[in-house]
Amino acid sequence: MENNELQKIWKTINAEINQKSKDELNLLLKSKSNQTINKFLIIISISIFVCVGLLVYLMITSLNRQNDLIYLVNNATLGIITLISLISGLLSWYKIENNRYNQPLKNWLEERIYILSKWLTGRYSKLYLFIIPLLYALTVLSIHVYFEDKLFLEVINTEESIIGLIVGTPIGLFVAYFGARKIRKYQLTNLEFLKDLHGRLCNL
Amino acid sequence: MNTAKDEFLEILSNYQGILYKVSLVYFKNKPDREDNLQEIIYQLWKSYPSLKNHESIGSWIYAVSINTSISRVKRVSRIEYRETIPELPDKSNIIDEMIMTESFQLLLDAIYNLDELDKSIMLLYLEEKSYDEIAQIIGITKSNVGVRINRAKELLKQNFKK
Repeated sequence: MENNELQKIWKTINAEINQKSKDELNLLLKSKSNQTINKFLIIISISIFVCVGLLVYLMITSLNRQNDLIYLVNNATLGIITLISLISGLLSWYKIENNRYNQPLKNWLEERIYILSKWLTGRYSKLYLFIIPLLYALTVLSIHVYFEDKLFLEVINTEESIIGLIVGTPIGLFVAYFGARKIRKYQLTNLEFLKDLHGRLCNL
Repeated sequence: MNTAKDEFLEILSNYQGILYKVSLVYFKNKPDREDNLQEIIYQLWKSYPSLKNHESIGSWIYAVSINTSISRVKRVSRIEYRETIPELPDKSNIIDEMIMTESFQLLLDAIYNLDELDKSIMLLYLEEKSYDEIAQIIGITKSNVGVRINRAKELLKQNFKK
């Protein structure tokens, strides 16, 4: 088969493409923009709503428990970690979502591999293993101690509290780790795919 | 409608064939192609301010279309779906109604058997782009383009004959 025979066959599709009008293209663009903005707003809104809700709760409960220093430390730590997690989470999400497609394929692959590698295998990539149980324990303790209406030390020294923590913690952590692992697995698969493509592009 | 958007839609309207063909090469099913087409349009609009840095509009459109398609092709949910249910390509249409000749369908089936990289290189070759343009869009050297095209062409011909 002649080389240009393939090109001739390929060209036959040109006559069959149903061209869209500018209005139709504009409609497609508008609908996609709206979808993307909505997705962005939903993620931002939920994250901010949950974090602000938690911070308000921490402030109110702290004001009501000013005499319990350990409880105040627990809430302050939880508040700081929540704020840092929110900010770094949103920044990471923005970086990952903000693809710069307008460059050669090789450069785009290198940029994506760099961003994903930094996130998935970088210095702080395993921090979530520590942060999730810490956030979970601090939140559970904050709620439990507050509604028991006793001092922090008194509550965590009771048998019921210890049993509750022992039973509840694995369930809570399982759910949290399951979600985190699912996201990581997806991004790791993506990273491997991009690395493989880049490797094949560089090696003749 | 503002001027920049007007200009963008004018360009898009003139070059929309590229979007269809890139989607056709990377996605077998109509809904996937439609989603991809819409995503490409959105990504082109997002990167439209950087168009002035590109030597050719066509190269810019190919680069954004190919990069967008490759980034979408490996979405995990779809991979899982494809692993469980064998996917059958639509034989009759792209985006809207389009009738493919038998030889075109055979060629397309052969392209589907190539990997993502060879698909993009073969697409550019079939579109009769020069080695310079392909090198610019893919980001490799001209000599590398030559080697890759020859290799992909051989694979394509083998698939085509099957």
